[in-house]
Amino acid sequence: MAADVTPVAVPAESNTVRAEEERLRGMLEERLGIRTRVASLPGTRALLVSPLAGGMPKGLVVDRSVSAAERISLYVHLAAHIALKHDLPLITIVESRGDVTSGDEHNHRDADRLARAMWWGTSARADGRELWPGRRSRILRPLLSSRPGRIGLRVLLLVLRRLYYAARARRLLEGTAVARSLRDALCVTAVVCAAPELGAIRRYSGSG
Amino acid sequence: MRLQDRERVSKAIRTLRGDRSLDSLVDRIYEITEGSVSLDRATLQRVATGRTRVTRAIDSPEDCVRLYFALMIIGCEEELTLAEVVGEGRTMLAGFVGEPLATLVFADLRRTLPKLTDLRTLREYLEEGLRVWLPT
Repeated sequence: MAADVTPVAVPAESNTVRAEEERLRGMLEERLGIRTRVASLPGTRALLVSPLAGGMPKGLVVDRSVSAAERISLYVHLAAHIALKHDLPLITIVESRGDVTSGDEHNHRDADRLARAMWWGTSARADGRELWPGRRSRILRPLLSSRPGRIGLRVLLLVLRRLYYAARARRLLEGTAVARSLRDALCVTAVVCAAPELGAIRRYSGSG
Repeated sequence: MRLQDRERVSKAIRTLRGDRSLDSLVDRIYEITEGSVSLDRATLQRVATGRTRVTRAIDSPEDCVRLYFALMIIGCEEELTLAEVVGEGRTMLAGFVGEPLATLVFADLRRTLPKLTDLRTLREYLEEGLRVWLPT
């Protein structure tokens, strides 16, 4: 069954973030065998259903109201759950909106920690590096680790984006390293703003 | 497969089908399971009305699990209560595949249920649950 994701119309959602979400969703299917679809899940952000037999596709249902940036953060979090082998046969991983239930708290905390390391490409685990293309950034990471830094950088990048289009800089910069870096920074910032736990500076020391 | 409690399974199916006719129930089951339940219309109707305990056409637990998910999805569509959908679905599954496998399949729903806030979310869970049991 092909990925069946209905486009989600979130006002002012950046095309860059949406394109990145689409790319990562494809990667999730290719590398982790996760098929994604969007549905209405009041009170729940996402459900990951694992089949009885290994090697068969897993099913991910994401709530319609979840933004593209938040979906990206969900993908890296779920990739961490899989690296930690939480995706046991016939066990559903529920990403709730509220507090996680006590039984799952430990798993979600571990997944958050590993997701952060995978996101920034600092995971000590080989499978973590294989499952997710981490991005090392000595500039962005410290800036995004605090709330004021996140907000300030997001505002700055949105202003730059507006200038990029308004001043027709696009004609000059399209396809250049500058434009790519700005797009990447905008995307990383949007994701960390949606999931601040990805921005915290702590090293994941999990092994094997 | 031989049903373990013909009457009880029939009652569970009657509850889950809500106001649907038997024909409409069978049509919807075929639709939801993308035709993967190898049970003919007449047998399915006999099971639903408690007139048989022999379902020769169903020879794999996977078929029964797909039927379980399909009937529970129908229960959600009929807007039964969460407790009715879950309770009758479990009874139906145990009647078909016996307690050990039913317990294994049902364990995930039991664990997940407290995190599912409403019938709509339960339905999405069931749809995804069914998808992973559909033949590839």
